[in-house]
Amino acid sequence: MTRQVAALFARVGARAYFMRDIGRALKDPKTYGSETIRQMRNIGVDSLPLAMIVAAFIGAVTAFQTRYQLFGGVQLSVVGLISRQSIILELGPLLTGLVLTGRVGARITAELGTMRVTEQIDALETLAYDPVAYLIVPRLLAALVMVPVLTIFANAVGVGTAFMTAVMATDVSAAAFSEGLRLAFTPFQIVYSIIKATIFGGAIAFFCSYEGFTTTAGAEGVGRSTAQAVVVTSVAILVLNALTALLLAPYLQA
Amino acid sequence: MKKRDDVLVGIVMALALAIAIVGSLWLARGGLTKGYALYAKFPWSAGLKQGQPVLLGGVNVGYVDEVELRQDGTVLTTFRVGKTHKVPRGTVATVIPNGIFGDMAIALTPVGPNSQSIPANDTIPVGASPPGIAQITSKADSIATSVNAITSSFQQELVADGGVADMRKTLATSNQLMANMNRLVSQFAVIAAEQNRQLTATQASFRQATSGIDSAKIDSTLQNMRSASANLAVLSADFRQTSARLDSLVMKMNQGDGTVGMALNDPGAYNDLRGVLQRMDSLLADVKRDPRRYINLKIF
Repeated sequence: MTRQVAALFARVGARAYFMRDIGRALKDPKTYGSETIRQMRNIGVDSLPLAMIVAAFIGAVTAFQTRYQLFGGVQLSVVGLISRQSIILELGPLLTGLVLTGRVGARITAELGTMRVTEQIDALETLAYDPVAYLIVPRLLAALVMVPVLTIFANAVGVGTAFMTAVMATDVSAAAFSEGLRLAFTPFQIVYSIIKATIFGGAIAFFCSYEGFTTTAGAEGVGRSTAQAVVVTSVAILVLNALTALLLAPYLQA
Repeated sequence: MKKRDDVLVGIVMALALAIAIVGSLWLARGGLTKGYALYAKFPWSAGLKQGQPVLLGGVNVGYVDEVELRQDGTVLTTFRVGKTHKVPRGTVATVIPNGIFGDMAIALTPVGPNSQSIPANDTIPVGASPPGIAQITSKADSIATSVNAITSSFQQELVADGGVADMRKTLATSNQLMANMNRLVSQFAVIAAEQNRQLTATQASFRQATSGIDSAKIDSTLQNMRSASANLAVLSADFRQTSARLDSLVMKMNQGDGTVGMALNDPGAYNDLRGVLQRMDSLLADVKRDPRRYINLKIF
């Protein structure tokens, strides 16, 4: 039992050291500057279609389900209100984060893990390159910037498909949906969504990079690290989502 | 390749930024332009918040821009109306519930058509707001309290104080009474049937009697009665005339006119008559005593 607790603290400590290394590496922008743009393309631009497709279907389902869960007598503009709140505050950032964990996070872990087991990272160290600055920081910065960007697109597409679904497939009028969309809206709701996405982006890049960076035991270890990275990051995103809601939801009221 | 990455990333980020800004503005203001400002002073309890809709005749034309709490018990509300919408003069602003979730909206209600519109930065007079959800809920609470009190009273009266048992007894008595009344009603029905039967028989007899009457005889009888009545009238007139004559005669007698009147009214005549009668009595007595003195009967 004591050994298990000690092992847990050891894992937390190892990640803390990794975070410290990232902090130190941030002082060397020449190393990670050019690579960051490439990672932003990989993480952000290339993930855009997937994030938008997921958001489109989520938006459509949200509007459809909301309409048919309403009991009689409730004004139909509520469909717009609930769709907006669900997509912007929860589903947009959360599902984008989870989808990117599978697409981007697994890729980061696999890339770094392969580089580790093929000793490419050791070679960088030999060449006096800081591997954290060259490999981890660009991915972290790219994720921190591009996941919110993808979330904004996802929110827009989700609300758009919710609007189209409600108007075309249900008895909700465009005016009623628009009225609900605007009801009790505050710009902080967009900021809240972006804050969440930024946290999720950081979590994806950090946990997946760590798992890849510390991969051992060859190809099998790469696979194990990738699987573990996806699981850990997914759970971390859910936990961070709950914490963010606990901290920031009181400020959401119009 | 690297330059292409830069361009792509830049485009995507710029697009995301534009979507976030334009989307926020559209959701918050209902459009990209801010519109013109109007003001209204509502009481503190109005429940207004920034971003709530402004409805002109039920159509969303703007949004609440700012709510400033004042120490005089009012909130100075700044709301913005889209530039394409004109608010007619005479319009009254009220706070109305917007949906069932406690949200509010400002309703601008024009008194009537007016070609003149309220200019920007003007203050709109405030009208009486309809009862909100909170007031309705408060009313419902008081009703619920009353119902609860009534229920408690019923509980006390009917259960604790044995009201239900009394009611059961009353019901049993009522049932018995109803049975008695039913019996009485059936007796009445029998009597009524008998009365009906007798009435029917009477009617039949009457019908039979009336059918036997000869109308010619009735006419003759009526004619005779009419003649007798005329005779009676004549007789009555004669009788009245005779009576008048008798009255006149009696009057004369009373006044002492004529022989009879004098005989009736003159005491001297009465005394004379009495004297004559006395003398006749003494004469008769003397005759009885000595008839020969007066009667000298000689035969042969």
